[in-house]
Amino acid sequence: MNCEAHSAGSPVAATENIYLPKLAVLDRVSDNIPEVKTFFWHFEDAAEQAQFRRFRPGQFAQVSLFGLGEFPASLPPSPTEDETFFTIRQVGSCTAALHQLKPGDKFAVRGPYGNGFSMEDYYGKNLVFVAGGIGLIPLRSCIVYALKHRDQYQRIQIFYGSKTPKELMYLPNLREWQQSAGVECYLTVDRAADSWSGNVGVVGSLFKKPGVQVPVDNTMAFVCGPPIMFRFVIKDLLAMGFREGDIVSTLERYMKCGVGKCGHCCIGVAYVCVDGPVFTYEQIKKLGEDI
Amino acid sequence: MKARMLERADVLKIVDLLRQQGYEVFAPFSGRGRDTWFDLVNDENRDRIQVHLPNPYYPPKRFVLPHIERLLKVRRSNGEIQIEPTYRERKRALFGIRSCDLAGIWHLDRFYLGRDFRDVYYEKRRKNLFLVNVVCTDPERDIGEECFCPCADTGPAARDHFDLQLMDLGGEFMAVAGTPAGEALFAHSMFKQGTEAQVEKRHAILSEVRKRFKTTTSWFPATVRYVSQGNILEKTWEDIGNRCLECGGCTYVCPACTCFTVSDRQVGPDEIERVRIWDACALSGFTRMAGGFNPRRAVHDRRNRRFFRKLAHYFIQRELSMACVGCGRCAAVCHGDVGMPSVVEMIRRATAANDKIQPV
Repeated sequence: MNCEAHSAGSPVAATENIYLPKLAVLDRVSDNIPEVKTFFWHFEDAAEQAQFRRFRPGQFAQVSLFGLGEFPASLPPSPTEDETFFTIRQVGSCTAALHQLKPGDKFAVRGPYGNGFSMEDYYGKNLVFVAGGIGLIPLRSCIVYALKHRDQYQRIQIFYGSKTPKELMYLPNLREWQQSAGVECYLTVDRAADSWSGNVGVVGSLFKKPGVQVPVDNTMAFVCGPPIMFRFVIKDLLAMGFREGDIVSTLERYMKCGVGKCGHCCIGVAYVCVDGPVFTYEQIKKLGEDI
Repeated sequence: MKARMLERADVLKIVDLLRQQGYEVFAPFSGRGRDTWFDLVNDENRDRIQVHLPNPYYPPKRFVLPHIERLLKVRRSNGEIQIEPTYRERKRALFGIRSCDLAGIWHLDRFYLGRDFRDVYYEKRRKNLFLVNVVCTDPERDIGEECFCPCADTGPAARDHFDLQLMDLGGEFMAVAGTPAGEALFAHSMFKQGTEAQVEKRHAILSEVRKRFKTTTSWFPATVRYVSQGNILEKTWEDIGNRCLECGGCTYVCPACTCFTVSDRQVGPDEIERVRIWDACALSGFTRMAGGFNPRRAVHDRRNRRFFRKLAHYFIQRELSMACVGCGRCAAVCHGDVGMPSVVEMIRRATAANDKIQPV
């Protein structure tokens, strides 16, 4: 009837149902660290799978466990990898149910959503990744992507810390990065165990270690981790001379829709789901809420 | 826009006409005192439809965004999962929607349909909805204590976004067609030709009606400026937060609030449905994440959120309208007196008090 409003806005052709998740099949599960598992899966429908595989590093998806609900989950794989997976910590009822699933079980996914990291814009720059704990999950995608396009970037550094050696995420990847010639990968733990011969201390302590030289000019810094780690790392980076616009991170918020409608993730003028989850520190500061 | 005239006794014939055309028609009814509501019209209650009455507190927003709406039905059988979206596409007409609520629906249109992700559930309800706007002209029955639509420039007479608009000119009614579908009704013989004098009379009545609003000093432009520039002191938000009882009532009655939560519920042994339910940013669980971290803990942060969303220039520009339509419902239901007009006033006063004038 009175429908002029319907033609306003962006040109999306046929209206698809933005809330309709598609069935996914769990292929296998691998244990990472306590309470965190990686779930390898594919869409039941091949066309759906192909479409989903166009995701960018830093994007996320909504995962459905019917009867319990939906939750947003980072996409740790790089689009350059063949497998599709989530790495999920068990924190609430939905994630607990996911942790109970066996290979062959079905759940549902919709996405990918969010802006993601614009990795192509960073061609020709140094990349410095700083992650704490499970903050490595969203950054893993960028790191793998950057290493796949190694020639496009200058130096690549990874600084990663966890509470204990047992809680280091993606151990096979970490070993690979440590041994790779093209990457400088530094690890640290807050509390060492007997077997640990590496650095002990917070992630920021790695910056000051002898032999470590963090490039500041022409560099993008990626920072992901718990709020306290984030605050201290930002302080360190700014002290080193990083510009606020050259530090990027991903924000996490409670989300119900993932498509800018439900309102839960809105901070200031930004909807984390559609305007983010990737923001520069310059933007985060202006949003005016705790990370 | 084209206008025709209509005898007072014929006004409800529009309801009959729409019902004959296959519309489910909803219209306002009144009970005792202030109790008013929109209900489905049938042969029995048709004569009790009220043209002049206080606007129902439960906003007609629910005809495009129901309080609880099913999105999906999910069935499990033999290890297979079937996901079925459920839509509602019945033709509906809303008779007697007030100008403020019409502005609310226009705001929702922009929000749910004017952006990258179109909401198909909203769209299907909206495109099947025929809107008959009634202009508030009776200062005693139509205009409530809290109404302040002249401040939001949404009323008392909507300028567009209706299919048909009715206005009481005293002896008879003027009908204005806002869309081709509304104009099509003019084919009926009850609609008579109008005169220039009647258009003049319409203007004259509206000028008079504007003077009968009790709240006329809700200065939005200044408040929008203060909010957008971030000039409001934390103390002011705290004062507002201290008066908020966190009941979520303002959001519940707001014709322009858009937020919802999504929940799965069991409806059979092997069947669940996914529903969306109106949600309120006043409630502390609104931003609480799994694991318990809540970035917005203090109640004044949450109040700040609601008024920022409604008053910041960024959102007004994005939706091309303000998320406050001046209906006054929040002011009527709020036990702490922090409805929109009060908040606008508190912000203005606090900002004025901040002016430092030094006698020399």
